[in-house]
Amino acid sequence: MLPVAAAVIALAYPKVFSLPYPQHVGVLICMNALMAVAWNITGGYTGQVALGNTVFFGIGAYTSSLLLRDFGVNPWIGMLAGTILSMIAAVVLGYTTFRLRGYYFTIACIAMAEIVSAIVVNTRRLGGAVGVTIPIRDASLLNFQFHGTNKAPYYYTILTFLAVALFVVYRVERSKLGYYFRAIREDEDGARALGVNPARYKLIAFMLSALFTSVAGTFYAQYVMFIDPASVLAQPVSVSMCLMAVLGGLGTLWGPVLGAMALIGISEATRVTLGGTGQAVDLMIYGLLVIVFAVFQPTGLMGMLGKLKARKE
Amino acid sequence: MTFEILAQAVINGLLMGFVFALVAVGLSLILGVAQIINFAHGEFLMLGMYTAFWMWALFGLDPLVSLPISIGVLALLGVCVYKLITKRILDAPRLTQIFATFGLSIFLRSLAQFLWTPNSRMIQNSWVGDLRVALGGVYIGAPQLVAAAGAILAFGVIHWLVEKTEVGRAMMATAEDRDAAALMGINTEQMYTLAWAVGSACVGLAGGLLTTFYSVEPNIGLVFGTTASVVIALGGFGSIKGAFAAGIIVGLIQVVGGFLIGPAFKFAVVLTVYLVVVAVRPQGLLGKY
Amino acid sequence: MALLEVTNLTKRFGGLVANDDVTMSVNEGEIVGLIGPNGAGKTTLFNSIAGVYNPEQGKILFRGEDITRYNPEQACQAGIARTFQIVRVFKGMTVLDNVMVGSYLRSQSDADARERALEVLKFTGLYPKKDYLASALTIADKKRLEMARALATRPTLLMLDEAMAGLNPTECQAAVDCIRAISREGITILMVEHVMEVIMPISDRIVVLNSGKKIAEGEPKAVSADPEVIKAYLGGKYVARS
Repeated sequence: MLPVAAAVIALAYPKVFSLPYPQHVGVLICMNALMAVAWNITGGYTGQVALGNTVFFGIGAYTSSLLLRDFGVNPWIGMLAGTILSMIAAVVLGYTTFRLRGYYFTIACIAMAEIVSAIVVNTRRLGGAVGVTIPIRDASLLNFQFHGTNKAPYYYTILTFLAVALFVVYRVERSKLGYYFRAIREDEDGARALGVNPARYKLIAFMLSALFTSVAGTFYAQYVMFIDPASVLAQPVSVSMCLMAVLGGLGTLWGPVLGAMALIGISEATRVTLGGTGQAVDLMIYGLLVIVFAVFQPTGLMGMLGKLKARKE
Repeated sequence: MTFEILAQAVINGLLMGFVFALVAVGLSLILGVAQIINFAHGEFLMLGMYTAFWMWALFGLDPLVSLPISIGVLALLGVCVYKLITKRILDAPRLTQIFATFGLSIFLRSLAQFLWTPNSRMIQNSWVGDLRVALGGVYIGAPQLVAAAGAILAFGVIHWLVEKTEVGRAMMATAEDRDAAALMGINTEQMYTLAWAVGSACVGLAGGLLTTFYSVEPNIGLVFGTTASVVIALGGFGSIKGAFAAGIIVGLIQVVGGFLIGPAFKFAVVLTVYLVVVAVRPQGLLGKY
Repeated sequence: MALLEVTNLTKRFGGLVANDDVTMSVNEGEIVGLIGPNGAGKTTLFNSIAGVYNPEQGKILFRGEDITRYNPEQACQAGIARTFQIVRVFKGMTVLDNVMVGSYLRSQSDADARERALEVLKFTGLYPKKDYLASALTIADKKRLEMARALATRPTLLMLDEAMAGLNPTECQAAVDCIRAISREGITILMVEHVMEVIMPISDRIVVLNSGKKIAEGEPKAVSADPEVIKAYLGGKYVARS
């Protein structure tokens, strides 16, 4: 019942709010939700606090953009190429770090992301610190570009990606993969004793996560039409996707979506009410919220809803 | 000629390494005793630097004079953060601990940006600011020299505190096993508070010393915090001596790596070394397990 | 040929020799007890068989397959399931989900895994608690859940690490009954135990370790009469207890 209602609302949203700004907010929510859902696969279900997922976002954005700019490759093909590259990167990253536990792993992820960023910033071919402007093509779904003030086509595109990601996670949750992911999160040695190969399943989780994050990266590039290391290859990108998952509820299907709605909502509300300095204020509220949730409500918004539901019954 | 440039790089790296070492020792002490990595440690350093900056800008105090103030402010901050936040999540899953201090780092960084703008600020004409010592063809900046000396002194004091005093032994006992220590009559709560105070005081000192030759901006903690995490990982989590040694090594790698490959890559070189080290030795360079 | 054959196994930790040239075997269908005083090397031997440690010397054969260098997941896939001395249940998952993780190892489909898990839960008597979070169980139930989880992997050999430690007499008896029932299903059992009283009556054979070396092997009665065993293990401790 609830998913159906959510779907109806999501589909009707751009029809009800036909102005560019609310549509833009809708796009932001879906895009961030997609990233948070992707992060949740490793961070939430498998329990590996990967704080370098901006790498996959960046690879997605840069691969499709550079292929389009330099070789005229269609962004959809570029997106596919990006996901493949991202999954390869996930294997490399995973392979070097899967033996590491706890903090070692988290720090290794941060390190990996910083290295990739340093390489891009210092390589002129890749646009350097200046970034890459995406060439304009005719507006069409085939070209993955929609001009003008109507953001609805972008909105429906990203909503579709999000829906696919949610469906995949829904299926994974109920399969061997999902059980193994959670077992690894709960107790790696316990899982091994039951025949689970943690390295293998962490890699699978990582690759799935990389795939969806990369798709979001290509989408971002095609939507904003400009990318640079500061916007797609930066630690705040890695952090924001995990914060949404944390606030919403780790290891839950809908948690990351709720988290994205809450954080984008806060961020846009402070920007509108406080204007120029808004950027820091929204982050201050983010930070505070994360502390408060970590200390008092570690199960996130989903946990809160669960409690409310239990109280009603 | 090239030799002199390299020697210069090594000296600079060594001196910077002592500052990294001091920052990392603070982080390591908190991790070792209170069992938590403070991902906001870099932001603590940033606040230490701002304390020194404002003491200079508002009251004309030289950063070396205001050192006790930045040390005190940071120690107090450490105690507050422990009492208000991390004390409540001592037994929570590591995930929760990571997020709590990560949230804190975001909060402090944006608070600084909100209060003091994102601009970078530099203390002009501090006492030691323009002095330097010539050693053959190599120059040693006085601020760096003072900072290194301060770091070594602080490390000596902490080392003495931990190894030679009753309080230090109680602290280490708490680090080994909180419950056993409590049974032995050690006030573990006090030990945790002390670790947070001393660990944070380290970055108060480091911050004050850094402002004599480094500009401060809200995002400065990102690089220093990440570097400190890398340093304590290399040194073996929780080991104070390991952190100090690894800090110096990282300082050297950074400057020499930057010299060989290009200054833009100096941070990346350190991180690459970290990845290579943990790939070979998952327990870090100097860690026992 | 025995199901499990350990030959001349030596495992060192630094300078400490935890297992010194140990040779022992477990036959199909047996319940074998592995005992010894604290620090005798029982858990080390147990962990070497389960793939946690790589021994320096010696060989471990399981159904004729050399498993000496296997890691834990390979050992489990080969048919050796284990429980832990300090329980390692998946605390944030339900009892049923815990067992599902085990049953997926040899299941073709989700439905298959679920069916197998429910079967095991009924067999071990945990079925009424299948929807509890594992963290909400008593110690005795947690230990039983570990057993259920291990059984769900359809092992040939089940290894129990101090399955009775920390249980009260009633719980102990229930555990003993459960172990007997598992044995009747045709599953071979190797159990490490510190408490002599519980292991003697259910074991077909006992292996005694002391200071890393095997000092006796045989039927419980013969072993408990062995003077060297009495000296090393039963001696002061047993007398003091009774």
